[in-house]
Amino acid sequence: MVYIASWDEFVERSVQLFRADPQLSRYVTKCRHCDGKLVLKVTDNRECLKFKTDRAQDAKKMEKLNNIFFTLMARGPDAGISVSGKEQVEQQASKKGRGRRQ
Amino acid sequence: MVHLQPDPFLNELTSMYERSKEKGSVWVTLKHSSMKSKAKRKKMETEGETIEYRCLVRATDGKKTITTSLSAKDHQKFQASYATVLKAHMNALKKRERRDKKRTAEVEQKPASSKNPVSSKKPLPTKPLL
Repeated sequence: MVYIASWDEFVERSVQLFRADPQLSRYVTKCRHCDGKLVLKVTDNRECLKFKTDRAQDAKKMEKLNNIFFTLMARGPDAGISVSGKEQVEQQASKKGRGRRQ
Repeated sequence: MVHLQPDPFLNELTSMYERSKEKGSVWVTLKHSSMKSKAKRKKMETEGETIEYRCLVRATDGKKTITTSLSAKDHQKFQASYATVLKAHMNALKKRERRDKKRTAEVEQKPASSKNPVSSKKPLPTKPLL
């Protein structure tokens, strides 16, 4: 099983994998509360990418990835998303007077 | 395999997480699907009909499987509720312990250094940032 160490690499490759074959690709999440472990898997039945963690901070990153995949899978592989999340950026831009605009 | 609407699915998913706290895993799978068989899809493609794709969500605890499908309109509302469910149950993961470990190590060093007047370590409260 291919475990990827870097989160960003996992995200990029898994989105690429899905876009290459949306009919066959799937995103699987396994959560074991008793062991405190979380494993993510993206596969198209030929290639398999996995990421495992026991860190709470990765759970937050996983939520963002969940959003990305929900969007991709509900709207189709051509749905416009950026890895950081375009919708979030748009929402922040519309809020007035919160922090600096970079 | 039980097919549910998004809201009952979320309720059932919550109880799955509750039941698996002490023992067991919960698998959640996301798939892009048209909910139609391959033959039907090919037929629709040749006839020029647009195929409506949905996001299929499956969840299982190893014994029971529940499933739901989301359209492009439902998915945002569902993903917000799903994120809430996850946050409520992901408390088993480790939080950053490094800083705490360093602090406890410092506290242990302090009494040791006070006993030994000749020590290379300075008993300063602040530590250099790494």
